[in-house]
Amino acid sequence: MRTARYLVALALLGGAAATPVLAVSWTRPALAAQSQLGDLSAFRAVVVDTKALVDKGDLVGARTRIKDLEASWDDAEAGLKPRAPSEWHRIDKAIDRALAALRASTPDRANCERTLTELLQIMDQPAA
Amino acid sequence: MLNKVPEVTLAFWIIKILSTTVGETGADYLAVHVGLGTLVTDVITLTLLLLSLSAQFAAREYIPWRYWLAVVLISVVGTQITDFLTDELEVSLYVSTAAFAVCLAGVFAIWYSIERTLSIHSIDTTRREAFYWLAILFTFALGTAAGDLATEALSMGFTIGVLAFGALIAATYVAYRLGAGEVLTFWIAYILTRPLGASLGDLLSQSQNYGGLGLGTIVTSIVFLAVIVALVTWVSVTGFDRPAPAGPAECG
Repeated sequence: MRTARYLVALALLGGAAATPVLAVSWTRPALAAQSQLGDLSAFRAVVVDTKALVDKGDLVGARTRIKDLEASWDDAEAGLKPRAPSEWHRIDKAIDRALAALRASTPDRANCERTLTELLQIMDQPAA
Repeated sequence: MLNKVPEVTLAFWIIKILSTTVGETGADYLAVHVGLGTLVTDVITLTLLLLSLSAQFAAREYIPWRYWLAVVLISVVGTQITDFLTDELEVSLYVSTAAFAVCLAGVFAIWYSIERTLSIHSIDTTRREAFYWLAILFTFALGTAAGDLATEALSMGFTIGVLAFGALIAATYVAYRLGAGEVLTFWIAYILTRPLGASLGDLLSQSQNYGGLGLGTIVTSIVFLAVIVALVTWVSVTGFDRPAPAGPAECG
């Protein structure tokens, strides 16, 4: 059958497409010593922004701002997670808790502050 | 009723692999970027899948757009089932991978015990069609769980994923050439093309910081969708993958 012959062609195509970037994916940024996941500063900056809004009492603004974190974190999942799956999950769960706090039907300011502070701590102190 | 699934050609595997990616990124886009949430997205895609499968079951012969629309949607729902188990119910990927493998084996066992064949060249009764689509649903769920397990347990990124799953598919082809059964190798390839498609999509869409080509999910999905539409249109017009009339004595 011609079927399976095509499968090999596909596999080779896939392999050829992947080869040039192999070298890139093994190279880690030298300054990303703070986390096995690499440089998380872009994500951290959004959390800092969000927390500043909560501190000012702007819970609606905070809810809008953290959406950027949700979307960018989700987009980067395939790139980040394989680097350190368990650490990725710890941060992912902490993001979920902060999202849930900010999106509660009547958000509790203290709860928002607590979950965001915890999120920052988890981002800054990766598991040993 | 005529055989209602296409011949397995190069176009078949390309459309199948690209459907996988579009299915996953589409569901993700609705849930996160459109902000519908997981539950609403799941209900929407499940409804669309049921409508699409009704159209496929109602057809008297192979109609490319109906068939491939069902594959794209079943790809989304198969992925969502695994994600729901993993994210919402916190079922371990080892457990879900094993469970889906058992479910798939169960579908094949019942299919074979009733029909005495698993041939994909004679999907020509409603009951066989039901077995076929149920098996496809479980291959997508199993492919998602096994692919995620490879990412988590082996820390396997998408670049290695493309190479590894490509190599496994090549090995499946070699086994086929050495005499392994056509039906067995078809379904193994069908499972493996799920994580291959996901890795390939990630390779194109992920940022260059992570070793991807940086096209983004939207551009990647649009490109893949355009190729799917072009290929489905092409097979519709040319009848290139129209199934050959199957003899009643054919076996798998």
